[in-house]
Formats: sequence, structure tokens, C-alpha cells
Amino acid sequence: MADFDEALTAFAAEVGTDGPVCVRGGRTRWSLGGEASPGTREVQAPEGIVAFEPAEMTVRVRAGTPVAALHEELAADGQRTALPERAGGTVGGALMAGESSIARLGLGPVRDALLQARYVCADGRIASAGAGTVKNVSGFDLCRLLVGSLGTLGLVGEVLLRTFPVGEAERWVRLAGTDPGAVRSCYTAASVLWDGTDVLILLSGYAVDVDDDLSRLAALGNCEDVDGPPELPPHRWVCTPAEAAAFDARNGAAGPFVAEIGVGVVHASQPQPPRPVEPGVVELNRRFKERFDPPGRLNPGRDPLRKP
Amino acid sequence: MHLGLDDDELVACVACGLCLPHCPTFVITGRDTESPRGRIALMRAVQNEGAPVTDDLIRSMETCVQCRGCETACPSAVPFGHLMEGTRAALAGAGRITPRWQRLALRMLRHRQLLLAGSTLLALAIRLRLVPTRRLGLPARMPLRRPPLRTSGGDVWLFTGCVMDAWQRDVHLAVQRVLEAAGVGVEPTGGAAPCCGALHIHAGLEAETKAMARRVMDGLSGDDRPILVDAAGCGASLKDYGHLLGTDEARAFSARVFDVHEWLAGRLDELKSRTPVEPLDMTVAVQDPCHLRHVQRAHQAVPAVLGPFVANVVALDDDGLCCGAGGAYSVMEPELSTAIRERKTAAVARSGATVVASANPGCSLHLAAAGLDVRHPLELVDQALSASRR
Amino acid sequence: MARTLAAATRRVLGSRRRGDRSAAVPATDDTDAALVADLVEAIGADRVRADAAARYLASRDASIYKEGNAGPVCYPGSTADVVACVEVAARHGRAVSPRGAGTGLAGGAAPLGQPVVLSMTRMDRLLEIDLDNGVAWVQPGMVNLDLSRALAPHGVHYAPDPSSQAACTIGGNVANNSGGPHCLAYGVTSAHVLAVEVVMSDASVVTLGDLTAEPPGYDLRGAFVGSEGMCGIATAVAVRLTRNPPAVRTMLLSFDDVSDAAATVSAIIAAGIVPAAIEMMDQRCVTAVEDFAQAGYPRDAAAVLLVEVDGPAGGVAIAGERVADIARRNQAISARTAADDDERARLWKGRKSAFGAVANVMPDYYLHDTVVPRTRLVEVLERIYEIVDRHDLIVLNVFHAGDGNLHPILAYDSRVPGTGERVQAAGREIIEMSLDMGGALTGEHGIGVEKREYMDRMFSAVDLDQQSRLRASFDPHCRMNPGKVLPSAHSCSDIGALRASDAAGVWG
Repeated sequence: MADFDEALTAFAAEVGTDGPVCVRGGRTRWSLGGEASPGTREVQAPEGIVAFEPAEMTVRVRAGTPVAALHEELAADGQRTALPERAGGTVGGALMAGESSIARLGLGPVRDALLQARYVCADGRIASAGAGTVKNVSGFDLCRLLVGSLGTLGLVGEVLLRTFPVGEAERWVRLAGTDPGAVRSCYTAASVLWDGTDVLILLSGYAVDVDDDLSRLAALGNCEDVDGPPELPPHRWVCTPAEAAAFDARNGAAGPFVAEIGVGVVHASQPQPPRPVEPGVVELNRRFKERFDPPGRLNPGRDPLRKP
Repeated sequence: MHLGLDDDELVACVACGLCLPHCPTFVITGRDTESPRGRIALMRAVQNEGAPVTDDLIRSMETCVQCRGCETACPSAVPFGHLMEGTRAALAGAGRITPRWQRLALRMLRHRQLLLAGSTLLALAIRLRLVPTRRLGLPARMPLRRPPLRTSGGDVWLFTGCVMDAWQRDVHLAVQRVLEAAGVGVEPTGGAAPCCGALHIHAGLEAETKAMARRVMDGLSGDDRPILVDAAGCGASLKDYGHLLGTDEARAFSARVFDVHEWLAGRLDELKSRTPVEPLDMTVAVQDPCHLRHVQRAHQAVPAVLGPFVANVVALDDDGLCCGAGGAYSVMEPELSTAIRERKTAAVARSGATVVASANPGCSLHLAAAGLDVRHPLELVDQALSASRR
Repeated sequence: MARTLAAATRRVLGSRRRGDRSAAVPATDDTDAALVADLVEAIGADRVRADAAARYLASRDASIYKEGNAGPVCYPGSTADVVACVEVAARHGRAVSPRGAGTGLAGGAAPLGQPVVLSMTRMDRLLEIDLDNGVAWVQPGMVNLDLSRALAPHGVHYAPDPSSQAACTIGGNVANNSGGPHCLAYGVTSAHVLAVEVVMSDASVVTLGDLTAEPPGYDLRGAFVGSEGMCGIATAVAVRLTRNPPAVRTMLLSFDDVSDAAATVSAIIAAGIVPAAIEMMDQRCVTAVEDFAQAGYPRDAAAVLLVEVDGPAGGVAIAGERVADIARRNQAISARTAADDDERARLWKGRKSAFGAVANVMPDYYLHDTVVPRTRLVEVLERIYEIVDRHDLIVLNVFHAGDGNLHPILAYDSRVPGTGERVQAAGREIIEMSLDMGGALTGEHGIGVEKREYMDRMFSAVDLDQQSRLRASFDPHCRMNPGKVLPSAHSCSDIGALRASDAAGVWG
């Protein structure tokens, strides 16, 4: 149990105990899972890094902090988090959207990044979930429940995140006209993107291992350095890794695409049709919302089931 | 009921569960009542907490194969075999296990001439198809005549035992030929040491076993020749006389006992130098008898001895899990015993071997009854030696 | 039919003595007879045991908690069997407690209030290996190590490797969100479970999560993993397959002083190296383990570290050198690298048998599982030895040093009067000290019943209220493994679901 930081207490006071409320981050994924209902009051989560412990490989940060600003600070010690960087995107926004970084193969999903969350409950009180350590199974896992919940169960004010060492060497390369399955032998691949023709790969790790993988790739075909990931089409499809690897077979409606190989996300030109959800899961989602937010005041209008 | 178990041995289990995957009955039933950890907890409940001895508790004890696979898996070295033998002794003493017919049958093993004659009759009955061999776990064919045992020298004793001598004397003779090929003079124990008492201690007949142990020790006293044993169960039993009787004499006796492979493994060069051999062209899977692997812990000697004589010796991938024979277990608990054996035959099939080498007659009979081609390891060595001689 | 069923039920209930048909069924009453009859009808007599011995054993796990009290024990063979058992239990107003191999160390599988116990050991099959999606579907009773062995031909494995992996089940791992040495780099169970088929408290079957990158809705499988059987019963689990690393280096570092070993751990992490595992054992633990494993652990060192780095060969060599260098700078007296897979396997066997080997020192042990910031290990260990000395006890320290997850084993002999109280007092101090350092109550063993009453030392009333909402969303009836994890004031109507618990630990 902790004495809460002033910024957090102030945030709780602003959220208050009454009336519909939503949190504005960088508005990068603002319409994900639905627009906030009309008349919903907008608040902002506090900003700033509370404590960065490079030797512990954790950082305590307020939810309103831009991810880019956080990563800039961590980079000084050669570290970063698993959160995706989007122009203007905040830590809280990234966690609530629950969408992982394009380097998910190397960094892991966002759902594994959150170690502790302090959030404002529907009744205006501050709750703490998880622990201040890198490992913890004390009680039920509220942290994972919160990630991707679009702020519909609680409004996150401050979090403790796991950090990772940035690879000693990092390189994006393009392999023209290759089957993405051929890249499987690369152990340092942190991202494998495929547009139906070319494969783009982010290699990250010890320089000697990255060089090793580069020569392995060179043996497969014409391999050239590129500046970074390509421009991604606007819509995000979520599927299984196998479906992503076979995407062109069914992409009539999707137009040009970039598939994240080994992950199961495809960036496409058209939105993904709604995914079927079994009734039992719908019912459980309803019960969670009802139990955690009985008055329905947290981000009304948004529903994680409606995320693609 | 006080089971008469040593309190320090009984408390040594911390219930970690690492024995579970090594217990053949737990692996089959998935029930704690059929696990080493569960059986120990029940022993404690009875001895320390005064729990009544129910039928179900007795079943829990009776279903144990006494393979002692749990002992080698136990980081705290709980002497499970002793605990189970003690429990069975207490239960048999109270008349709760080992019915009269079983006691009578076991008593016969002490009477060598009776056993030999009875076996000949049985062999005859089998030839005449009067006995359902498969159902009773008996060999499909038993010898009507046994070539006589003969003494070739005085370097070592070869322990011949009871049922094995009656049913598988060929194995003793093969073992003797191999020893002789290594330049060792052999005296078979024959009537001097009729039965080691392994089956009796398993059945909880402690007093009887002690009497039999003394008889064997008397018969083989007078010198300190090594006593070589070609049946893993008997070897384990003889090696345990020190603990069973608790005397210096018994401990000294047990120190003279060696599994024949264990003894030969250190003399392979002699064997090879005397008789150059061509290895048999076959793939042989080594089945580790529990009483060689978990009790004597000498199982590695078998592949070592077989190595020079068989082209392809393969190990099984089942961590030495019991085959379900367990002395009289296959007769007393046919259902469990068969289920356990199925795992072993599956492991043999995975190994790709055509022949199984087993250093214990009980295992060998049990596995042969499932249709496997099972030989004693030294029968294979003997075969290789005689083929080379020709 | 009815007569056959009645006979089967009588057999299942057990009798006191062979041939004594009039003997009362121990510690069961008429309600149980009706319950057992329904269970037998639902899943067959060979899958139900209600005799005293079976219930006695189903009442305990590997913890020192001995107050569990099992009702009838069922051994379901399929999801349909589990559904049927949950239905029958609900009809009789009884709770249901699932059980894997019973290797848990916090009493999580110890049933409270005579629930129907579902022993999942017969559901032990590997259902499907899907290499295209990097997933395997397994039944909950499958043993952790059996899974990795079955996966070996495909060059992949299941990463979480609890010390009990040779015996513990995947279902138990899911319930406890189990860890293990290699979770330092690879993450605990929750990071390796993609989907779970669950039988809910109303006997409906729901699949939580799926094989996609981001399943729709709330992360329900995330919320389910680690819920200690209180949210439903897992009947199939989709686990993530991890590629076997191309190279592995296992190093054994020994030290004259425990503090030097602890300082080495903090320095490795601070240097930005993420080894696959960093394990520590102190001298007393090494001695207990070495007797069994004969792995070549140095008995004269005050502490040893087992450090494993894996990945592509080049990086492994560099990381290995850096680790050895850091150890030398922290006064390591020796650094040995396992020469081959065999030596490596023996070292790990030694480490993983540590809890089980305690009886080489003392017959009983009480164990905590707190986590502390890994930068404070030196200080924390000094405090532990000080606390234990003050209470005149023996401690064996063996733990996942890399993530600060302590396992101080208080070894004692419960037959010595007064020891139990001293052990409890020392345990309490260790927990409070860990929490004061900014730590957590448990890193991988779970709360169960043993650590339940410490929960409000770590969490506020608001926090616990939120946790109990999670549980109630899954199980509004509070019927699944009631009475665990949450302290009594926060466990919804669990107490109502518990039958008046008869205190008798032994039948008769």
C-alpha cells in the first residue's frame, strides 16, 4: 500500500464520483471501440516520469506521458518499453488500446509490459493492481484485465512498466520477392513485415548475431538496408499468425497490405469485418463492465468487443 | 494400529510430489491413493493419527508394485521400500493381507525338490494345454527336463534361486558359460541356497523371510567368495540382508553379493581378450529391471556388458518406469499389471528394437507374455561367444 | 439399473472393513450418499471415489496446510465429465475444487468445506500441435515436462519450467500463473497461454482468448490465468511454443560470501544483460541437493549462482564472458561452464530438487515466495539470516535471484514442541520485511490459503474489492474453489458456500 503521489490524487479528484467521464490521451486511437457518448466529460491523465530504475529495469510513469518522451528518457540508459510509439500517443492510451508495437516479436506484447497500475475506479477511489516488482502473482491479475480495456473498467493514472535493453545493433533490411517463411531461421528478428511481395525485417541484438543473420538473409536473395518500417495502411486487422502469413489469399476487400509475420496483425486499406465472438464471451464482458463500473460512467460508448 | 515403522523414515517425506511420474500405478490411475506420496501419507495417518485401516487403505498398499522407482526420484532419499515392507508386514501380521493360499504357495518356494517336481508337472500340463498360460501370466512353454547344474571351479558362487532355476535353468547355464569364458570357475548354489525370500518380504511375511535369509547365509558360509546373481530381484533381496537382519554377519554377507553384470563390467577386457567376437547383428533394447536400477542402482552395467557383443544396443526412453511384473504382482493385480506393461511395450516399439534384454526373470516372463522376444543379457553374450567359436 | 447404480455407489463410498457391510461410511452423511450417487450416474463409478483414504489425500497438497477437507473425488476424462460434475455439485449446493498433481506450495488445492474435488490427472493428453500458429492445445492434466518432451522433435518447447515440472500439471500452472528459473527471460505462464477452454460455475463452457494477436474484448484469459481455480475449471489450454535457442551456456559461479553472490546478480541485471536464468543457492541448500543430485556443486562455497545465457552463439559467448567478468569483479572464487548437455542437465536437476531435498536436513519446511527489488538482494539476504538466527531456526536459501524472487526455506522438525510458533513468527517477519522493501507477497506459488491473511498487508481495501469483482464476474456463485486468495472479509459469499467444516483431519 502506498501513499499516492499528488498528481494521482488530483487526477482522482478530477474524475470525481459522478457523471460520465473519459480520458483524452494523444487521440491517436480515439475512435477505437466506439466514440465516447455525447455529454461525456473529458479529463487528462497526469504527465511525467516518477522514477526510472535502470538497474531494476522498470520505470514508474504517469499515464498522460507521451511514449516518445518516455523512450527518449530511457534511451539515455539504453532501454525502452514494449509500448508502441505513435506521434503524440501517451502511455495510458497505448495501454488502454492494447495494441502492441510493430517490434512485438522482439519486445513481446503490450499485455506483458504492465507490472503495476494505479487507477481511479468508478466510485472515484484509487486502486492499485499488481506489484512494484518484476514478478508477482499475489491475487488476481487486474493488470492484464486493464490492458486493452479502453478505460471502461478504471482510469489509469500511473503505471510501472518493464523496460528492455535496446539491441546493441538494430537494422531494418528489405528482402525482395521472398516468402516470409524463409526468414524463420533469423533469431534476432524483432519484426517481420510482408506486403505480399517483399519482406522487411528488423534485426536487433548483439552486433555479431545481427551480422550472422544478415549473411543468412543475403544467402536467400537480394538484401538491402532500409531506413525503417514502411508506411502502414490505415486499418489494422487482427488474425492468427497463420492467417497473416496467408493474407493475400483472401484480401480482395483489403487492398494493399502489410502483414506482421509471426504475430497475426495485418495493416490494410479497408477496415476488418467484425470478428465473431462466442456468446459466453459476450456475456462475460458484460458482467465485467457491470461489476467494475455499475453506473456505466467510465468511457461510455466504448466497448473493447468492438475493437477490430 | 501401529505399523511399526521407523518414525524418522516416516517423517522424511516432504510431499513434494517428484515421485509421482516415477510411480507406475499413479501414472496409470492418476489417483493419489495409488502414489508413493499418498501411500506414505496414509501410513502416517494410521501410525501417527490413529486412522482406521480401511479396505481402501489396504488396496492402496496392495496395489504398490514395490518397484521403488520412487526412491531414485526422491531428493530426500525416503526409504519407501522399507516403509512399504514394514506396512505389509504389519498388515499381514494382523491377517489383513496375503491370504492363506498365497502363503502356502510362497512356502513351497523354500522346498527345492518339491518346486522342481511341481514345475515339471506344470510344464506337462502346459504342453497338454490344461493351463491357460496367458491369463495366468505363465510362459507358453516350460522345460520338461532340466540339464543338471555342474561345478566348474571355486572362484565364485552363482546364485540359482527357486522359480528361475525351475523354469529358466537355461539362463543359468548360459551365464555360467560366459563366466567360464572369462576364465572364472563357477559353483552354482543349487540346494545350498534354495530361495532368497524376495517374494515373501513383498507379501509382508517378515519372520519367514528372516528365516530364509539365515538359511541362505548358512548355505553359503565358510568362505568369502563373491556371490553372483543373474536375477535382479534376487540380487536386491540378498543385498538387503544386512538391513533385514541388522547383524554384522548379514552385512558382511550382503557385501559379497554382486549382480553378475555389475561384476562382469569390470572384467570385460579379460572376456574380450580370451575370445575375439563378432557382435550379433541385431537391435536390442535394454529393459532395466527396477530392482537393478532403483534398488541395486547397477543397471548401467547391462549395456556396458552387452556393448561389445551386440551391434546395436538401445536404451528405452521411459526413465526406467516399471514394467508391471513385480514378482507375484502380475498374478495378484492382473489388470494394473497389464496396463503398466502396455506403456513398456510402447516404449520398446518406439525404440525400434526386435529383441529385449532383461536381467530379471519376472520381468522377462511378464514381457514375453505380451509377445515380446525377451532374452537374458548374458544369453545374448553367450550366443555371440558361441557363434564366434564356431 | 437402479440396483447396479446403488451397488456402484456403495462401492465408491467405501466401507470400513472387508466383509463388514454394516459399517458406517466415515465422515460422510446422507447428503453425500445422494451426491455420490448422482456423480456416479453422471460420469461412472470408476471415475468417482468417496472413501476416506481418497478424500484424505485429496485434502492436501505439497504445502504444510493440513486443514483441507475434501468431499467426493472425481477423475473426469473429458470436458463433458467436468460439466457433468459441476452440474451435479451445483444441484447439491456444493462447491467444486480442481486439483492437478497437488504440488502447490500455498494450499491452493486444499479443498475447503467438503467440495466436490475434480482431480484432473486423467485429462493428460496433448490434443494438437499447430506449428503454423506456434501453439499446442493440451489438456490440463498433462505434466509440464511431458509437454516439452513431446514437443522436442519439433525443435520447440514450453518455456515456463517450475522446479516441480517433472510432476506438476499445465492446469495447475495456469491456476498459479507458475514461474520457474527460465521465466526471467521468457516470462511466466500468463505470457505463454493464448487461450483456455473453461467450465464456468454455471456449467457452461467458454473459450477465453484465442490464437489471434489480440482477442476481442477484455483480456479474459489474462484475468483467468493465476486465479487459483476460483474462476472456473480449465479443460483445455492453448500454450505458446518457444523456439529452442541455438546455443546455451550454463555457468556455475561460486562465492565465499553470500553478499558477493547477491551483488553479482544485481550487477548482471544492471549491465543490461538478460540471462535466461539466474538462480542462487546458499551452502546449506547446496549440501542438501548435492547429496541427491551429485551434480558437482561445490559444498565448500558459501553460495553458488547458476547462470544460463541462451540465444545465437555469438551473443551467448559475449554474454557469458561478461557474466564471468562481473562475477570475478565481485570476488567469485570459481566460474565453471557446463561442458555438455549431460552436465547441464545434472546442474538443473540439482537446482530443481531443492525443495524435495530439504528432508535431508529437517523433516518439515515452511517456505515463502516473496519478491523484492533485485537491486536490494544483498540487504534482503542479510535481513533474512538475521531474522532466522533470532528465532533460532535453520534457513536454506534457494531462489530465482534474477527477478528477486526469494524462496527462504525454514527447515524444522514439527515434533519439537514450540517450533511451529517460531517458524510462523519468522515467516511473518520475512514477509513484512519484503513488503517494506517494496516487494510482493508471492512471485509464483500463489496465495492459496497459506498467504491469504497477508493480502491486506500488500493491498488496500479498495484494491481487494477490485480483485473480488474480478472473481465475482467469472463466478457470481462463489462456487469454484471457495475460500482462497482473498482474505475472508473480501471473499464475497464464499463463506456461505462453505459447509460447516468438520475439523477432523483423519477419518474414523
